[in-house]
Amino acid sequence: MNFSQEATAWICASCGGSLELTKVFFSYMKGNFEVDLPACPACDLVLVPESLVSGRMAEAERILEDK
Amino acid sequence: MTGCCDRVTAFETESLCPSCLKKVPAVRETRGDDVFLVKRCPEHGEFRTIIWRGKPEFQGWKRKPTVVRSSESQSTTTRGCPFDCGICPSHRKNACTAVLEITSRCNLRCPVCFADSGSDPAPDPSLAQIAEWYRRVLRAYGSDIIIQLSGGEPTVRDDLPAIIEMGRSLGFSFIQVNTNGLRLAMEKEYASVLRQAGASSVFFQFDGTEDDIYRRLRGRAFYTEKRRAIDRCVKNEIGVVLVPAIVPGVNTHNIGAIIRLGLSLSPGVRGIHFQPVGYFGRCPKAPDNSIRLTLPDIMRAIEDQTDGLMRVEDFTPPGWENSLCSFHGTFLPRPGGGLQALTGHGGGCCSTDNEGAYAVSFTARQWSAPPAGSNSDACCCDSSGRETGTETLDGFLERVKTRMFSVSCMAFQDAWSLDLERTRDCCIHVVSPDGRMIPFCLYNLTSATGERLYRGKAVKSEK
Repeated sequence: MNFSQEATAWICASCGGSLELTKVFFSYMKGNFEVDLPACPACDLVLVPESLVSGRMAEAERILEDK
Repeated sequence: MTGCCDRVTAFETESLCPSCLKKVPAVRETRGDDVFLVKRCPEHGEFRTIIWRGKPEFQGWKRKPTVVRSSESQSTTTRGCPFDCGICPSHRKNACTAVLEITSRCNLRCPVCFADSGSDPAPDPSLAQIAEWYRRVLRAYGSDIIIQLSGGEPTVRDDLPAIIEMGRSLGFSFIQVNTNGLRLAMEKEYASVLRQAGASSVFFQFDGTEDDIYRRLRGRAFYTEKRRAIDRCVKNEIGVVLVPAIVPGVNTHNIGAIIRLGLSLSPGVRGIHFQPVGYFGRCPKAPDNSIRLTLPDIMRAIEDQTDGLMRVEDFTPPGWENSLCSFHGTFLPRPGGGLQALTGHGGGCCSTDNEGAYAVSFTARQWSAPPAGSNSDACCCDSSGRETGTETLDGFLERVKTRMFSVSCMAFQDAWSLDLERTRDCCIHVVSPDGRMIPFCLYNLTSATGERLYRGKAVKSEK
């Protein structure tokens, strides 16, 4: 499931609204990143899909943590 | 009244007497910003060897180890460390690198040689013996390990390609050739032959950018040949790691120039691995501390000689071997010039069960040639080419794979600087001719009179 499909498969836990793909910025150690993620336009809650967390995000984390 | 620089703190460890190689108690004695290994032999007196000089602060140079011992012992405890290698039950770390010395012959006569090659070379081990070494490594550590084919000079063996192929066929995915590069420079097709056999990387003896350095360290000038050999490896997609032996008064001034050259040849040149000189063979008089280089000396020289392009705080202690054995840093080129350091003091806090395999695969990837045809110019820029400070995860991971440059340094121990706390954490193991796994520094250790601790002393193996 890609992130567009994830966006349509979930609703916001806070307001019940639909999620939209939104450019999200995050920083970790010496890295600053941007990624398009499903987010609630009303509440600003962001869904970080498990596939991203355990995949590319974990890989970047290990590089920045120098493991 | 005692000033700050007179304050002494001590950490107890063990070592050997440089004269008789008997085990003696030792302390790491801190005086101001310097640290000395101090030991006393009842028969041969006191030895005081500098092991850390200046900033960064010694006390802060620690890292929680992320890799611990899980492999079975190959020997039993009888006389105690360091006499039972190996590896014995008191060893604390798995190996990350297994060194196979496939010849003791060499095509150079260097005054500086860990392997004591050339003086009276033993017959080359047979292919059957090398196959047995490979199998021993597999049984001890599995195939997630760096295999380094060393010597002597391994390229003097015409069957080196067959030896590489044998290792690959047994399941080792990363095989590195430790070479002076002469044959690569002399034979146009040789790099291609090694690549086709399965060599991933060369650990390339490269002491500087000036011919005079080679005259003094290697007996003759051959900077031009070195450059030609590097170009041929890069062209044939063999990752190149430049390995300078750093000797005070010979090439300490050239550290920055080596880094700048390496960066200019990146990503084909994957990184630089500095090796400050140790003292092996006959040394009747203890080497003076003024001719010893410590990890901080190299870090500060890098910062000074690169005008801050790489800074002391960009370097970090190792996550695998003992913190006092090495430092390393990883860097990405910035689109507008300069470098982004990915490493720095303080690293991650957590470890996982599979840390060892990941660390080996990461090093193997970094030391192999970059993926062909990849978008190595991906960067943190907007459509107009302006650096934005952020980038996509994919872009970052792509740049790591294709453009990351590593700088590392390993402080080898000799008979005066030997610290058994460090040795028990060693992850670079030489496979001795009789098949034992012996920590690199112990394998190469010699007393002041040139007596060897392990090299050339085979025992009948139990396994």
